[in-house]
Amino acid sequence: MLARFAVPHGRVAEARVEEAQIVAQIVRRCASGDAVAWEEIVQRFHRRIYNICYRFAGSADDAQDLTQEVFIKVYRTVSSFDGEKASFNTWVTTVTRNLLVDHFRKTRNDRATDSLDATQGADEDGPALVDRLAGNSESPQTHVESRERREMVHQALQQISPDLREAVILRDLQDMDYREIAQVLKVPEGTVKSRINRGRAELARLLQRTYRQAL
Amino acid sequence: MLGETKSGMQCTEFDALLAEAMDGTLTGERRERFEQHKAGCTACGTLFAEVSSGLAWLDEMEDVVPPPMLVHNILAATSGAAQAEAKTEPRTPVWERLRRQAGALFAPVLTPRFGMSMGMAFFSITLVLNMAQIRIRDLTPHNLSHTFYSSQNKLMRYYENMRLVYEIESRVRDLRNASEESERQREERNRRYEKNKNQTQEQNQNSEPDRLEPREHAQWLASLIGNERSIGTNFGSLAKQRRER
Repeated sequence: MLARFAVPHGRVAEARVEEAQIVAQIVRRCASGDAVAWEEIVQRFHRRIYNICYRFAGSADDAQDLTQEVFIKVYRTVSSFDGEKASFNTWVTTVTRNLLVDHFRKTRNDRATDSLDATQGADEDGPALVDRLAGNSESPQTHVESRERREMVHQALQQISPDLREAVILRDLQDMDYREIAQVLKVPEGTVKSRINRGRAELARLLQRTYRQAL
Repeated sequence: MLGETKSGMQCTEFDALLAEAMDGTLTGERRERFEQHKAGCTACGTLFAEVSSGLAWLDEMEDVVPPPMLVHNILAATSGAAQAEAKTEPRTPVWERLRRQAGALFAPVLTPRFGMSMGMAFFSITLVLNMAQIRIRDLTPHNLSHTFYSSQNKLMRYYENMRLVYEIESRVRDLRNASEESERQREERNRRYEKNKNQTQEQNQNSEPDRLEPREHAQWLASLIGNERSIGTNFGSLAKQRRER
């Protein structure tokens, strides 16, 4: 659980500063029309952006489309990036978050109910979450169990409110610090921490309730 | 709960420190007060347990691997497809790329059915060419153009010959028509001549003396001659008078 704190805080900060400087140089080259620099940006950030989109939208197809949209928007507006206001990482995450919120609003009516009996998004023929929870204890293979647990958490994550979900994703899945998250979400750091706590607690309650139903 | 103070800490303060406690950055006296409040406040203790549980679940999560074509698609959507292909795909030798492209291009025709059809078509064409006595080497561009122009000349000659024949036929027809016309005119003339002749004879019968006997006819002629001589004499005397004058 505390793997992210294995590295001392000072070294993490130094590594981040160094990384930010390298990225800032690449972004400057990109803004001046360097195609190689743009490709480097895509290579560096596509995995991170895809994961944010996947965890928020819940579907691999949606995540792929959203990631492409994010990079198209970044490509068009990269010249407007101001490195003094925020890091490029924060800026890209803000663009991503705004697109995700737009996507959430557009697809609100199409979204399924928040029942945990809903099947897996990408695999509609797969077993329901309750069924998979019940079957976990019977599975002898730890690897398979671990994979199924991750999938359950992913499904449960889709059930919590978007405000809490985005805060939890940025903190616990993308390892951003509170200040960056506050910049992205445009809320005070205290609100960010509160949302993160509530999101974690909501997720735990959801999974425990589902687990009890399975039993 | 929120306004409640236990162990020197309000629940709102506990809530504010909860994130730091989860991160492991809460230390010293604040950590002690936090722990005391957690032990004394049921609601905050439950909240701590839930948040810890949720964080434990989330810590199991791993990054998902993006689709392999994602970078390619992004670059294609932003920098153009050709540039994206050139930069994202590993470099392969030119002949290998050409072979792949050719393979992809001719994949539909490289099938047994297509090969059989092509064989049959080739056999049929060869058979037809043999029957028409056309050799393959005659099908070169030079020979084809030569054949084309010789065929064109033959055609032109045939056309000219046919035109000459038609002209001769036309002339013959005109001559025939002209001869028939002249024949018809001659017959018409003869008919008119006969008719005029008959009319003249009838008139002569009316103006000349009745048929004369040879002697009477001779006298009639002599009288005519005598008249002429007297006219000549008259002309002679007139000429003599003129000379004398």
